[in-house]
Amino acid sequence: MVQRLKEVDVVIVGVGMVGSIVAKELAAAGYKVVGLERGDARFTVPEFQSPAVHDELRFDIRKALMQDNTREPVTFRNARSETALPVRRWESFLPGTGLGGSMVHWNGQTYRFQANDFELATRTRERYGKNFLDKDVTIQDWGVTYAELEPYYDRFEYLLGTSGKAGNIKGEIQPGGDPHESPRSREYPTPPQKEHFQGALFRKAATSLGYHPFPQPSSNLSQPYTNPEGVKLNACVFCGFCERFGCEHYAKSVPQTVILPVLLANSNFELRTGCQVQRINLDSTKKKATGVTYIDTAGREFEQPASLVITSSFALNNVRMLLLSGIGKPYDPETGTGVVGRNYAYQTVSSVASFFDEDVFINPFMASGASGTLINDFAGDNFDHSGLGFIGGAFIGAVNTNGRPIQYHPVPPGTPGWGKGWKQAVVKHYNHSVMFSLHGSSVSTRQNYLDLDPTYRDAWGQPLLRMTFDFPQNDLKMAAYVTAKGVEIGKAMGAKQVAGAPRTAPYTTTVYQTTHNTGGTVIGNDPRTSVVNRYLQSWDVPNVFVIGASAYPQNASWNPTGTLGALTYWAIDALKNRYLKNPGRLVSA
Amino acid sequence: MGCLLALGASLIIADAAPPAAKSQSAKRPGPAAAAVCQGCHGANGEGAPAAKIPRLAGQSADYLDKQLRDYATGARTNEIMQNFAKPLNEADRGAVAAFFASRTAPSIAPNPRATDFQMARGHQLAHQGSEPERVQACDNCHGPDGSGVPHSAPYLAGQSADYLAAELQSWREGERKNDAGKLMYSVAQRLNDADVSAVSAYFASLGAP
Repeated sequence: MVQRLKEVDVVIVGVGMVGSIVAKELAAAGYKVVGLERGDARFTVPEFQSPAVHDELRFDIRKALMQDNTREPVTFRNARSETALPVRRWESFLPGTGLGGSMVHWNGQTYRFQANDFELATRTRERYGKNFLDKDVTIQDWGVTYAELEPYYDRFEYLLGTSGKAGNIKGEIQPGGDPHESPRSREYPTPPQKEHFQGALFRKAATSLGYHPFPQPSSNLSQPYTNPEGVKLNACVFCGFCERFGCEHYAKSVPQTVILPVLLANSNFELRTGCQVQRINLDSTKKKATGVTYIDTAGREFEQPASLVITSSFALNNVRMLLLSGIGKPYDPETGTGVVGRNYAYQTVSSVASFFDEDVFINPFMASGASGTLINDFAGDNFDHSGLGFIGGAFIGAVNTNGRPIQYHPVPPGTPGWGKGWKQAVVKHYNHSVMFSLHGSSVSTRQNYLDLDPTYRDAWGQPLLRMTFDFPQNDLKMAAYVTAKGVEIGKAMGAKQVAGAPRTAPYTTTVYQTTHNTGGTVIGNDPRTSVVNRYLQSWDVPNVFVIGASAYPQNASWNPTGTLGALTYWAIDALKNRYLKNPGRLVSA
Repeated sequence: MGCLLALGASLIIADAAPPAAKSQSAKRPGPAAAAVCQGCHGANGEGAPAAKIPRLAGQSADYLDKQLRDYATGARTNEIMQNFAKPLNEADRGAVAAFFASRTAPSIAPNPRATDFQMARGHQLAHQGSEPERVQACDNCHGPDGSGVPHSAPYLAGQSADYLAAELQSWREGERKNDAGKLMYSVAQRLNDADVSAVSAYFASLGAP
């Protein structure tokens, strides 16, 4: 029997970074807000304290902070000709669960996309002509520009306290920063983190080749910081346990350290954990949401009526929630029509390993999730793609985040995969190697998409999300091109052996690449090619807002969280100042 | 073997030591430059808890070396310690630090003034931290049971309660500031006087590592 609860103003599905920020703003504006989180409540103390949080086996290998895929996996196939199977062990990407969401286990790499990225289709056509791209590429403009988002990027970075060096303040190039970045209104809130030795080696080599190295923008902070919400953070101690772990020092900017203390103190907000939302409920017109239905950990079913529904889950789950709720027309790859699940994209991450003599000590364990040095000279559209046959690029950087003993053991190509030879090589190279990450963009294509699986269901009986994905030719060409550039930098660093590993097809879910899954509820100005308008409001059901990286029409060369924070504050402005003054209607462009 | 090495060190740097220290070194173990330290900190660095004089025995050599250097440069202030640290050259400093790092000494008795409540609160702060104050566990950096994590995080277990409390107050007031990233300042800011007493008493009650 379904228990119907008292109606509230706003119900939020997923209390991660986006959900926490939206809830905080709307609760502070006087609205009654309920946040539904499927996972547990968790805080820096006691959940993230050492030594338990440094359990590499539990968190790194067994993925303790991730979505429970014994109950709620994703199914996967490379192509429509195959039958998708459930991913029973997270490897390629790691959707989080629990209060604070996936951000709890992020690395803190806090980039902005460039102006070009938001108008990618138009700018590509202008610069390279309309027949430059493969026919199956479905990139499109966002419908919102960098200039419009800049104040919101700024607000998000100041919420987090991001440590970095500006490269372009209001059009003035700043020494030491990234000269390719689009103009920012002011300097980062805190100075860059200390540069580790491999970063210094990289900087010197990249400079000698005429490139423009800069410190990685980090939300593991370089110094204590009090954010505009009045929440205090500490400085990072470079323990090397960021990604896949909670931070025990209040030094990594996550909902628990930047916004939850303020949100949870507001009596207009109620957090409910252990709530598995089944669907967003619609009225008989199918144009208005009436709330959500969820099941708690005791198996009881509740209906939570609300005037406004915000889905702020991980990108993949936002898509699934709309499909399960019948909001928006599902994408059909056969005809190319429909929108929900369309333009799923990923990122194309390659690597370069540089092996040094044994008198060069790298100390890879002395790192944070974002303490590297990198270049943007081959990212986005920062170089001329004429004649290259692809768009996009990658940042190249000595951005290794850790030297943890189970996972980190770089060995040169040709090393045996196990046994004595492998062990000897690990000992020999562990402290004398530098791994570059080449963090590449991903175009959307007609054949990469998300839909509901026809066979497999979750523990509550609902169809799983099915992912159909392989690397587009455009991105494979890009990976080969930028990896060659990375190898040149490795050689200029003085390594005695440099091994480039460009990403190759087929895509596999069995090797970690990145958790930057995007698309499926794409933003835009045309309802035929987007699920939400430029304010992240559903075209079909105006009292539903879908806020997540699921809105990205394709994926850029950088980690997506900074842009998601900017979009979140952008959407909140529209919600508070426009939608809620005239609720139930589409916010006009 | 250890004694022979220590004796060797004392012979090498004996010329740099003041005459008073030289005569003491005949009776005490360790390099001559350590003799003056032993006057207050004890022959084996056991400390003088009631006088807020910290225990040095078995402490991280890198930590001790850095503190002496910081006293010499004024990065850490204490009139008495600065006077002793300034004349030491790098080799003396290293020898003194290595000597005390190599010593063992019996632990001092548990702090008799601590209540059960204080001990429980101290235990919580040490091992778990406290979310309402947003303060993380001391053990995160100072190791299990405050046993220290070389190079930079000193052990706290078995340390003088009065010394620990005085230092926490000093971090909190911003008087002591020779930490990296203001780490200790950030933590101490969130501890009130009761918490400072509790956590100091708790660590003092543990056996030194």
